[in-house]
Amino acid sequence: MKKLLVSYMTLGYPNEADYLNFIKGADELGTDVFELGYPPDFAKYDGPLIRKSYSKVKSAYKNFSELLSKSRNFTKKKIIVLTYLEGIQNNLDEFLKNIKSYGADGVLFPDLLVDFPESYSGYIKQISERKLEPVIFVSPFVPDRLISEVSALSRPFLYYGIRPTTGIVTPVGVGTLVKRVKNLIDNKLIVGFGLKGDDDIRESLSAGADGVAVGTAYIEAFEGAGLKGALDAVKKVRNILDEFE
Amino acid sequence: MIEFIPRYWYNIVPDLLRPLPPPRDPEDSNFSRIELLNSIIPKEVLRQQFTAERYVKIPDNVMELYSLAGRPTPLMRAKNFEEALDTPAKIYFKYEGATHSGSHKINTAIPQAYFAKEEGVERVVTETGAGQWGTAVALAASLMKIRSTVFMVRVSYEQKPGRRTMMNLYGAEVYPSPSEITEYGRKELRKNPSNPGSLGIAMSEAIEHVINNGYRYLVGSVMEVVLLHQSVIGLEAINQFDYIGETPDVLIGCVGGGSNFAGFSYPFIGSKRGSRYIAVGSSEIKKFSKGVYEYDFPDSAGLLPMLKMITLGKDYVPPPIYSGGLRYHGLAPTLSLLVRDKTVEWMEFSETEIYEAAKLFARTQGIVPAPESAHAIMAAIKVAQEAREKKERPVIAFNLSGHGLLDLSYYQKMEAK
Repeated sequence: MKKLLVSYMTLGYPNEADYLNFIKGADELGTDVFELGYPPDFAKYDGPLIRKSYSKVKSAYKNFSELLSKSRNFTKKKIIVLTYLEGIQNNLDEFLKNIKSYGADGVLFPDLLVDFPESYSGYIKQISERKLEPVIFVSPFVPDRLISEVSALSRPFLYYGIRPTTGIVTPVGVGTLVKRVKNLIDNKLIVGFGLKGDDDIRESLSAGADGVAVGTAYIEAFEGAGLKGALDAVKKVRNILDEFE
Repeated sequence: MIEFIPRYWYNIVPDLLRPLPPPRDPEDSNFSRIELLNSIIPKEVLRQQFTAERYVKIPDNVMELYSLAGRPTPLMRAKNFEEALDTPAKIYFKYEGATHSGSHKINTAIPQAYFAKEEGVERVVTETGAGQWGTAVALAASLMKIRSTVFMVRVSYEQKPGRRTMMNLYGAEVYPSPSEITEYGRKELRKNPSNPGSLGIAMSEAIEHVINNGYRYLVGSVMEVVLLHQSVIGLEAINQFDYIGETPDVLIGCVGGGSNFAGFSYPFIGSKRGSRYIAVGSSEIKKFSKGVYEYDFPDSAGLLPMLKMITLGKDYVPPPIYSGGLRYHGLAPTLSLLVRDKTVEWMEFSETEIYEAAKLFARTQGIVPAPESAHAIMAAIKVAQEAREKKERPVIAFNLSGHGLLDLSYYQKMEAK
């Protein structure tokens, strides 16, 4: 089966025109799902590059819903909004209604299980009631029992963050970690959060991942070689994924 | 019997009730402390820190060195002690003081020094409070034929010349902390020339020394990888209990950062053996009763990633009690979670109480315990007395994490009171 490419980009990064062209280009180059970063108050589990991208767009825009809505005009692929639950939990329903009306298909909160372990199921229900798909984020820090439990609730896949933070490489046994989580679930598995380089991607796929999520690499490429660089990075990941069809 | 030594370490993270909050950088950070770990800690140690595997294989070379350093350690029944307490409870203890370095600390010093040597490092650096950890690192480094530097909390450096001598004998360079060796130490000394030091300060000095010289830092407690290595104690104890056909009901250990308690009790918690797990702290350092569960730095300088843990705050300077191993502001993240969800109970005792416990234990069982370990003995006494009142017969097991033969000045001081 075709492996899935989940492409992350911070809403409006690095500027509106390049951002929208990135969405269009990444769609054409074979992105299956977009994960769009909605700037949170504090991106606590993200690395410096993603944090910097959030600061940049926060100083440039006020209205991220509008950017979300424009993104919808450039792709028909699924759009998952990524942000942190902390800070919006009291206005969650309004937030969900809002992103749904501007074209989001799902939402992912990396802090849902870690910081709201007692109330996550209520939040998942709330997300589903707003006709959004809850993408649940798990990591090596999540106990086995909980991974199995939440996997059954996560749509359209379970997201496994392989490292403690985005864009920072720490030595982890990628294959071992992926195989372990694969054995615990009966759902599609997307691996991301700190995947670094072609070897990590290949190792995840060989170990049974159904796809990968890439973000920091695009932002890095954007910084170094602009839009073309970012799209080349998408193409490169797509090619690796296609080796595994 | 050598067969008691387990072939694998046990990691409790996959078996916790809730997710472990990951390490993270503070909000205003402009660099990644998690990335910095790559240039401080041996790669394999870091990989084990972030592993999700329930069991991690112990390398053959480490197994050999465990055996050389005194493993398996004895599991003993304290019958005479039971009689003195007039309790129907059975009391066992795992005697980590029987290792050559005199405490449980060698269980993680060996693998960390081994993995440092594997990547070609010539010197390892660490901090020590009471001196047990520094001694273990000094020995482990010598066994691996590499060099070691130890920053020793000043108050312990002054109170425990014997420890210093032992580290020197094993080949370590030892400096009192705060020291003039590092920028952080100099800054602390300028603020307060008679600063007694703390583990947090010494840790900050050790890390700075590593960063400036390309050495590797060995972690003594708090981080999950240390708890993982220490699980050799509990796994070995399970093998020994199985051998004698006994299962303990109550598991007890003293707590500084949490590694000896965790190493002893986690394998029992994970395999659902036992029904009460008691972590024991010092009532002079009220970590359990006054600590707050929040993200905090494990080191005073804030060079390491923040961990979510029960903490008294990174700038907390503990009073200069003799149990240097307990003078630390934080509690290992997994242990913090287990305390919060009430899987693990806690008790706190004062220096006076633990002195009485140590005395009774020495007079009935012949072993002079480290004052830190005497906290565990005191908790065992409480549980044993409770059993007498309730007419119950629980099997109590505590970890006697180290001997106190280099702590005689403490006993002398208490005797004089």
